Amino acid sequence: MEPIIRIDNVSYSYYEKIPALSCVNIGLSEGEKFAVIGSNGSGKSTLLKVMNGLLYPPSGKVYFRGEEVTEESLKNRAFLRLFRSSVGYVFQDSDVHLFCPSVFDELMFGPLQLGLSSDEAHERTKGVLEMLEITHLQDRASYMLSGGEKKRVAIGSILTMNPGVLLLDEPMSGLDPKTRSFLIELMIFLNEAGKTLVIATHDLSLINELQCRVAVLSEDHRVEKIGTADEILQDEDLLLKVNLIHEHMHYHGNQAHIHIHSHYLIHRHDKNHEHGEGG
Amino acid sequence: MKNKIPAFLLSKPSHAQSFHERGKLRVSSIEKGMKYVSEMITKGFIHVGQETVRGFFQNLDPRLKVLFLVFFVVIVSLKRDIVPEVMIALFMSLMVALSRIDFVRFYGKIVGLTFFFGFLVAFPAAFNVITPGEMIIPVMTLSQAYDFWIYHIPREIGLTRQGIEGVVMLCLRVMNSLTISLLVIHTTPFHKIIKALKVFRVPDTFLLIITLSYKYIFVFAKTVENMYLARKSRLVGMVKNDEARMWIAGRIVFIFRKTMARYDEVFSAMVARGFCEEVKISSFGASNRMDRFSGSFFLLAGIVFLWM
Repeated sequence: MEPIIRIDNVSYSYYEKIPALSCVNIGLSEGEKFAVIGSNGSGKSTLLKVMNGLLYPPSGKVYFRGEEVTEESLKNRAFLRLFRSSVGYVFQDSDVHLFCPSVFDELMFGPLQLGLSSDEAHERTKGVLEMLEITHLQDRASYMLSGGEKKRVAIGSILTMNPGVLLLDEPMSGLDPKTRSFLIELMIFLNEAGKTLVIATHDLSLINELQCRVAVLSEDHRVEKIGTADEILQDEDLLLKVNLIHEHMHYHGNQAHIHIHSHYLIHRHDKNHEHGEGG
Repeated sequence: MKNKIPAFLLSKPSHAQSFHERGKLRVSSIEKGMKYVSEMITKGFIHVGQETVRGFFQNLDPRLKVLFLVFFVVIVSLKRDIVPEVMIALFMSLMVALSRIDFVRFYGKIVGLTFFFGFLVAFPAAFNVITPGEMIIPVMTLSQAYDFWIYHIPREIGLTRQGIEGVVMLCLRVMNSLTISLLVIHTTPFHKIIKALKVFRVPDTFLLIITLSYKYIFVFAKTVENMYLARKSRLVGMVKNDEARMWIAGRIVFIFRKTMARYDEVFSAMVARGFCEEVKISSFGASNRMDRFSGSFFLLAGIVFLWM
């Protein structure tokens, strides 16, 4: 089956100076869960912006349903409409994502842009507000929301457009455990409803919970490996190499230990890494 | 949760629409302008002083470079003849080459700026209407000469030798001043230029304010750029200029509020790190032999240009 989004040999540098992506090749199938993982500055957000037609790579090509996504092709009204209504992007920084006077306007913005009637846009907005449990915030300005509330509104503003592909940039950053599990559940249900999910994260527990296909970006901005969540999470050497896990020393009672450490997933003491007596 | 998901989200969007059917989209001028201004600021911030190559000027003490800048700009302004200006231009191009700066890009910028701020401004002065003298290129002949108020328009209008020399002189001055300034700016990180101003006894508080303001402009431009992208990702048609204006006005309010909040946070961070209304900026170390040698060389070159 033809990938819904295909990235062919894409390289990108900011201001022709700061490399962000180097010869990246990725194909996304419709309806799959896909995660891009890598350490800070590896190019995850840039890759999502390229997939969303917000940045245009000087070398390499991006395709959406077989059609090349370029600055020129996105000037075609019909393609732009199809592309923007099909691919939604939730920014990492909710402050830049939210630009309307109130939460309600924020959720209405997308459907109205798509040319939906005011009634239908209203209906969608109400439904999403209820689903995300933010109905009580609908008249509030975005700068008067907490971090978790902003994230919900940002996701809601994309969901009212009902895109087939959801690009989520660090969706769990700075969220409390309750909001986090709420969003994971939401992502699973949306995927079951046929939505393609693309998540940029360095949160290994998230890819374990979602069991998605994973592309690992290295610090030199290349795709180091693509595989299932289990294949990637069990490859300790790879995770160490791309700085997603590290050696870590801490105390258990009076005993100091050094072991390979990931904040969520790998936390074992089975490799004779005992360090010595602690205070 | 599943029963809370609205029905429209569980349906697949239709992709039957052909995208070869309708016309092209025009991007509004306000949108274009906003994008380019923010790109220009961020690009400028990143390029300035961030040259990865290590050349002659990059290795010099920033204090010496600031003194070089002031000294040579004064010399360029004092000279009244074309020959010394040309010699200074050649000397500066040698410095650019020794600093291993991309020659074509660097002089492309300078020639463009000189054209707008030097040539276009001064060109009318090359005509005998403004600068009387020996006419070398006649342009047009009127039926008679005209006089009104303090102006005299001669019968034959053209370019005079004195006028052309004046234009060339002004262009050379603009070009040389720009070359000197950009040479220093391109080879010195901004914060070091600011710190180097300490040689002129500029107070630390003032320098810190300039540094923070400059950094804030960059953060501001990045925020504007990202907000532009966030909006673009949800737009499916052209934005009218009046809508763009309204959006920008709304964003200005938002950024203003955010800035106020950020000021409070920055001030708290400063207090937490020991700030008590007295700013102290770290100084540079002692200059090395290379700096002293280069300083003497610049001084000598400057005296020669002044003498010419």
